[in-house]
Amino acid sequence: MEGAAAKTPVIEVEALEKRYGAVHAVRGVSFAILPGTCVGLLGPNGAGKTTTMRMIMGLTHVTAGRLRLFGEAPRDLGRGLRERVGLVPQEDNLDPDLSVRQNLEVYGRYFGIEAGQVALRVPKLLDFMQLAERGAAKVMQLSGGMKRRLIIARALISNPELVILDEPTTGLDPQARVMIWRRLLDLKRDGKTLLLTTHYMEEAQRLCDRIIIIDGGKVLDEGTPQQLIDRHVRGHVLEVAKPLPDGFVEDGLERNDIGDAVLYYASDPAEVTRRLPRDATYLHRAANLEDVFLRLTGHSLRQGG
Amino acid sequence: MPAHATVIAVNRYSHAVWRRNVLVWRRLMWPSLTTNVLDPLIFLFAFGYGLGAVLDQVGGMDYLSFVVPGMMCYAAMFAASFESTISTYARFSLQHTWDAILATPVTLTELMLGEMSWAATKGAFSACCVIVVGLIWGGVPYLPGVLLALPVLALGAVCFASCGLVATAHAKTWDIFAYFFTFWVTPMFVFSGTFFEVTRFPWFVQAIAWALPMTHLISVVRPLTAGATLDPWIALGHLGYVAALAVAAFTLARYRFGRRLFD
Ligand SMILES: Nc1ncnc2c1ncn2[C@@H]1O[C@H](COP(=O)(O)OP(=O)(O)O)[C@@H](O)[C@H]1O
Ligand SMILES: [Mg+2]
Repeated sequence: MEGAAAKTPVIEVEALEKRYGAVHAVRGVSFAILPGTCVGLLGPNGAGKTTTMRMIMGLTHVTAGRLRLFGEAPRDLGRGLRERVGLVPQEDNLDPDLSVRQNLEVYGRYFGIEAGQVALRVPKLLDFMQLAERGAAKVMQLSGGMKRRLIIARALISNPELVILDEPTTGLDPQARVMIWRRLLDLKRDGKTLLLTTHYMEEAQRLCDRIIIIDGGKVLDEGTPQQLIDRHVRGHVLEVAKPLPDGFVEDGLERNDIGDAVLYYASDPAEVTRRLPRDATYLHRAANLEDVFLRLTGHSLRQGG
Repeated sequence: MPAHATVIAVNRYSHAVWRRNVLVWRRLMWPSLTTNVLDPLIFLFAFGYGLGAVLDQVGGMDYLSFVVPGMMCYAAMFAASFESTISTYARFSLQHTWDAILATPVTLTELMLGEMSWAATKGAFSACCVIVVGLIWGGVPYLPGVLLALPVLALGAVCFASCGLVATAHAKTWDIFAYFFTFWVTPMFVFSGTFFEVTRFPWFVQAIAWALPMTHLISVVRPLTAGATLDPWIALGHLGYVAALAVAAFTLARYRFGRRLFD
């Protein structure tokens, strides 16, 4: 029993589609997320990440396809399911009329959590997100990083099993980002399931067990970061500036023309370097998810679709 | 889930939304209380001296007894309308408060019930302030009638709040509320018998007036507070109209918001 229950995916979507009138935002997305894992949904702006998350949260209707949460099909009144999920939305929707502490207390009431429980959880959450001294502050007085942390604390008020985070660190400075990463790793250690979107490859590589690459409303590939790198860009990237050196024979090499230079992918850098003239200059580095993305979509992750 | 459990749950979750609004309002309670009491006082002072001197008797009662219940209804109507439109739209569209709430176990219907009951609470509160003023200044000759008028005013406030939500559900920008106030709130202010009897108007204005919930509300509240005779069947007819409109408006607003948010 235990084993079977543990293997039920927390989220399971099949051929999920969303149309907003004429806009086909999500065009048949399928994936499954196992309990206790952190999965990253990676894609440029407009890829359909937020829409996918909103469908999972029941914040927008599913146009077509199948969706299961904790093995159950969520209905409009799936209150039991909603209590088990926390959402960190892409845009700040903290309650500006309330203080930091009140934001958590009031949110706890929306979950039907009794006042005594909320009173116990709020200081712990403020502590956890390093907001303890800011409890009485107005939301307006918080920096962008603190607001983000408060939104994460708020998503945890019901002690959810699944936390969905839509770009939790976009626009934050590196320190603020690192702090949030630590907390997310803590949550993972606690056994929570995380689904997050990000534009930052480093974030995905640090946090995610699995990565789903999505563009134009479709899943392009998924796997562990290493699997994706091995599958699409081998281990090494050699960047050779244009014009390419005379006498350089590219035949048989995996290449990607990025305009003013060409990227070559190889499991052994010598595959490329031995073909290059002795005096040719090139850049050599380990392949990363950014390369995978570039390879799969033809554009970089940050620049948008 | 058994039916009664659903009802209790509906209450708990919409109550959480209602309490959020109370919490915010508490900080503004004193200014709100002051304006809610001062406004009708200024009105009564001006109208009592101005019109009251000219109009001795209106509808078989002294002008003060005529106008104070009208103002109770007006206060309920204005406060509930304002809260369910301008204030609710700010939470819905500007602050994204609704989006945050809908990501919790609170359903859209419960959220709307919370917002509607809060707008109605504000309406009832404003009406109570007028009652207090009326008790001090004069204009509520029949005290037991005031007690009966309270639930009637609350029902009116529910209706006005639900009608306000219909406008909010259709609002793409703030502009729509200018029309809402011009074509809904102002006519109820001038045509529904707040300051003069409806019968003074030509028939087509009267026809419009009787379509407005305010006219029906005043028709019940005024005889109650003045201690005049009121046929219970006629009263029930008026209240039935107000209640039916409240249900229809809330249902329409729920449908519109559902399409807008989830499609
Ligand atoms: N409410 C909406 N109405 C119409 N189009 C929308 C709406 N929300 C998103 N879209 C469109 O759907 C596509 C996917 O958007 P989104 O899911 O927000 O992408 P992402 O989160 O990956 O940036 C975009 O083309 C966007 O313009
Ligand atoms: Mg997005």
